[in-house]
Amino acid sequence: MSLLRFFRDKLPLILVFFIGWVVMLCFFAGFHDSLEQAVIISVLYFASVICALLLEYFLKAGFYKNARASLERLDKKYLLPEMLDTPSFAEGEICRELLCEAGKSMTEQVSDYKRQSDDFREFIELWVHEVKLPVASLSLMSHNDGEAGAKYSAQLKRLDGLIENVLYYSRSENAQKDYLITEIPLGAAFKGAALSARESLLEKNVTLKTQGLDIKVTTDAKWLEYIFTQLITNSLKYFSPEREPVIEVSAYEDDRAVRLSFKDNGIGIPDTDLPYVFEKTFTGENGRIGAKSTGMGLYIVKSLCKKLGTDITARSFPGEWTEFVITFGKNDLFRL
Amino acid sequence: MSKIFVAEDDVSIRSELAELLKNSGYEVDAPAEFDNVPGKILTSGADLVLLDINLPGANGQMILSELRKKTDTPVIMVTSRSGETDEMLSMTMGADDFITKPYNPMILLLRIQAVLKRTQGGRNETGSYRGLPVNTAKGSIGEGENEQILTKNEMIIFSRLLANKGNIVTRDELMTVLWDNEEYINDNALTVNISRLRSKLAALGLEDALETRKKQGYILL
Repeated sequence: MSLLRFFRDKLPLILVFFIGWVVMLCFFAGFHDSLEQAVIISVLYFASVICALLLEYFLKAGFYKNARASLERLDKKYLLPEMLDTPSFAEGEICRELLCEAGKSMTEQVSDYKRQSDDFREFIELWVHEVKLPVASLSLMSHNDGEAGAKYSAQLKRLDGLIENVLYYSRSENAQKDYLITEIPLGAAFKGAALSARESLLEKNVTLKTQGLDIKVTTDAKWLEYIFTQLITNSLKYFSPEREPVIEVSAYEDDRAVRLSFKDNGIGIPDTDLPYVFEKTFTGENGRIGAKSTGMGLYIVKSLCKKLGTDITARSFPGEWTEFVITFGKNDLFRL
Repeated sequence: MSKIFVAEDDVSIRSELAELLKNSGYEVDAPAEFDNVPGKILTSGADLVLLDINLPGANGQMILSELRKKTDTPVIMVTSRSGETDEMLSMTMGADDFITKPYNPMILLLRIQAVLKRTQGGRNETGSYRGLPVNTAKGSIGEGENEQILTKNEMIIFSRLLANKGNIVTRDELMTVLWDNEEYINDNALTVNISRLRSKLAALGLEDALETRKKQGYILL
């Protein structure tokens, strides 16, 4: 609160004082008092008015300045009412009470929503585990049926993949407790993903090249496997009909990080779309021309990576290749 | 013939699992009641246990810890919850492996075989085929003058065929084993590997050893 602004606020009051002064001068003139007397009284009058105003200004300005400073220091701004000093003037007291009241109501509202969303998430997790039972049962049945069951297996794999999407989407949005960081070789997580996508990869006759996957990283094995599955699914959608499909997965290590490159020789991503591939529901040009795309896969991958504290970036040469690079930072604290 | 005890409460999964295991040459004990599971496992004399983590009235991990007090019978935990903590907890309680549903049946069988192999008679690095020593660690068949060195892929294929000697092994099965060993070869490469293996066997004087069964797979006689 600047002094100028304060005085502007007090303009009506100052006007009243001014009128009071003019009326006073009229009285002085009417009673034929001396000019000296009028000047001395006027000076005293204005001095006390200004003193009173300045006193009020410093009192309030101090309070508001403190409040603003607390707000800036706060990470969670809604906690401001808790941080305010008890103001020594009525206006401030009212202000604080109102803030507290509004904040309390907002907290209640938010915790209501949080409870609802937690309940929903819990239900989704439970549902996913329930729905996996019939899928497990069906995949055993189709395997037991031999040749005839093979075509069902492919669809069951697809179904399972879609169910996993729900699970990991729910986790990527609010997970706090569902991951466990351990040290695993990259190859172990990749193997799981490759095995589950094996039929599709072989069907499209994809050549899978791996290099350096014995390097170990500290991360959640299941999440990393899901990330690999998504990247493979993604590549499978966008292979070029002009050449033999190839996926190269390689890892490099230096003293600061492990870099994992996942590169395919598919149709690539147009330059205009590239910055948005990790955005929710973004499908871009490829999503429209090629296979069905929901724009969720890479978004979930990015959120999971963020949660795991790893970094993922995409590069592409349109028409030639697409490369995803995941960077695992090294932190010796993990390795206890 | 190894006996497998299946503790699974989902009726449909239980019967399909039993069928899968029976088809693969295992004897199966799959009760429908889950009171005193550790006792049932002990009396069944099973060589391996497939234990679901969520059984009605009993927690799989409790059953496991109770079982571990009395026997070292290998246990593979099965769950539909893909939480890492379950896995960690089970492993520290002495489970031999951990699989999440829905499992790939072929991989389940591979895991079962691997656990059985590990627990029965240790690691069998050397074997023999028609009197010729097979050294998987070294990757060779025969010895001295009469020795053929196999590549890693060829050895994986040969070991698989040898383990199922006299039975057909499907291409799908060979592929699963190879991929499970992080050898991501495609169909053409498998064909090439098989024919190389066949010529190496022929060089050892075993021209008729490896037969192709049209539309079914391969068989080592």
